[in-house]
Amino acid sequence: MSWKISALKKSPWVFHVNTGACNNCDIEIVNLLTPKFDVERFGIKLVGSPRHADALLVTGVVTQQAAPRLQEVYRQTAKPCVVFVIGACACDKGIFTTGYHVVGPVDKIIKEVDPNAIIAYVPGCPPKPEAIISGVVKALSTL
Amino acid sequence: MNQEELNKKLEQISDKLIAVERPLEDRVFLLCESENSYQLNKFLFEDVPLRFVVATGIDAEDCFEVLYHYSYDQTGCIVTLRAFIRDREKPAIESISPFLPGAEWIEREMHDILGIEFKNHPDMRRLILADDWPEGVYPLRKSSS
Amino acid sequence: MDTPLNILFWIAVIPVTIALGLCATWIVRKVSALVQWRVGPPLLQPCYDVMKLLGKEILIPEQAHQGVFTAAPVIGFASVLLLSIMFWRIGVTQKAFAGDIIVAIYLMVLPSLALIMGGSASGSPHASLGTSREMKLVMAYELPLILAFIVVIIKSGGVLQLSRIAGLEHAPVLSISGALAFLVSLMCIQAKLGYIPFDMAEAETELASGILMEYSGALLAVWKLMQATMLVALPMFLVTVFLGGFGPNLNGWLIGLGMYVLVLVLIILIKNTNPRVRIDQAMKFFWVYCFLILAIAVSLAIIGNTFKIYWL
Repeated sequence: MSWKISALKKSPWVFHVNTGACNNCDIEIVNLLTPKFDVERFGIKLVGSPRHADALLVTGVVTQQAAPRLQEVYRQTAKPCVVFVIGACACDKGIFTTGYHVVGPVDKIIKEVDPNAIIAYVPGCPPKPEAIISGVVKALSTL
Repeated sequence: MNQEELNKKLEQISDKLIAVERPLEDRVFLLCESENSYQLNKFLFEDVPLRFVVATGIDAEDCFEVLYHYSYDQTGCIVTLRAFIRDREKPAIESISPFLPGAEWIEREMHDILGIEFKNHPDMRRLILADDWPEGVYPLRKSSS
Repeated sequence: MDTPLNILFWIAVIPVTIALGLCATWIVRKVSALVQWRVGPPLLQPCYDVMKLLGKEILIPEQAHQGVFTAAPVIGFASVLLLSIMFWRIGVTQKAFAGDIIVAIYLMVLPSLALIMGGSASGSPHASLGTSREMKLVMAYELPLILAFIVVIIKSGGVLQLSRIAGLEHAPVLSISGALAFLVSLMCIQAKLGYIPFDMAEAETELASGILMEYSGALLAVWKLMQATMLVALPMFLVTVFLGGFGPNLNGWLIGLGMYVLVLVLIILIKNTNPRVRIDQAMKFFWVYCFLILAIAVSLAIIGNTFKIYWL
């Protein structure tokens, strides 16, 4: 198991999931993947399908409509995988705490499917790309 | 046509309106009852003609309101038609989708969120609430917490 | 060839080819990074990618045809390995057999067919969209590729043997028809490798990875290895046919290696300076423009061969 995790640390491929965000965190993630911040040094690559992904970048407070879909995407991701929760709304509902369509923060929805999921939190509204890089690198180094 | 001609054209329907407000040079509010809203919308969209931008629904204390926003691109003037729905038990208004297909989705959204019924709407399905949201619960009404 | 060297050849050829393929993949990513003014991945990055993929679980969709789904990457990888072994054998022992260029062309089609098989066995609408695009692309570029090789065959006087084509006294690219055929075959190789501007089958942003969407784990690792090894086999084929090949002595090998790097850099530069084209634009490009260029090249080659003018 350990060589799988150590290989995963060297080449985490990310897939971006938006579960009802205001799009600010999504813009910061897209900024992150431009040549200016050069995340390919860490082996990070944006992939188009969750089956190819090792890390899910989840933004947005989970709406009632998005919750079963997020669980399905998590199930489709090949294990072992890490879930990165980006933004204040995804970490703990943020300013949408009393919204009528809000089901819960991301970790509550993912833990319904997999209680042993590895989840890392990057708070901020929105977190700067430097903060997201630092969060991802720190989380991978503790695996 | 410029602003004065637009104003003169809007005079033609002033018999169906409750009031006309002009807080700014390029901002016109036309107030009417919901029974007349279909003909007024048809006039604004086809006869003037103006470009339909979006529609808004409001839950005011004693009535429901549906606002139709139109834009006159040559002068940048925005004309808003405010239709008052007096019946708070079963709010209903004529749908404008038969001659304005672009209004279909915004009327579906207003029905989902505020519960306003649009008569003669060709395709009234749920648009933005979740698939398992209970029927009859309208989230943005002042009575729902 | 002595027996111990023979045994050494057969033991070392597959690992050396895979290692060269991963190295070539790294060169592509590093040069693309430098073109974009950034640093790029470390040297062993493609190695880490493959190792990581081997450690992930394999998910097979319920509606997929399991046999074809699993066999497709293996068939593709095996055919590219066979092609590379053939080239190494010809390069090292300088012994080829008549008609080997036809075997090489046939083996080069197999990876694309394997991709199509794998995509259509996936049982997913995105994958079938990617498959239909890949099928149209294969129909578009296969014929110009074969015609480009026919130009060289005409110029060499009808030989169908790779070692004799590589040993021609004037490299085909130094003539007008040869240069035209080389340019067309470069674009066909770009399409076969699945690089921009012809990567519409595996379009990441449009089709959610299209043709390879349902693959994960070890099967995806085999697809990546196949794509890496194609980066060795296909430019080597171009060098052998057009640019004079890997000669019999050390000098020839070094020149051949230099030519290989040149072809690789050309592929990278075309990849980094172009947008992705639509499938109908690609078909028009191959069927109209490439055919016109090749018609001129074939006629020039026939004239040059008949009247013994080598620069035509």
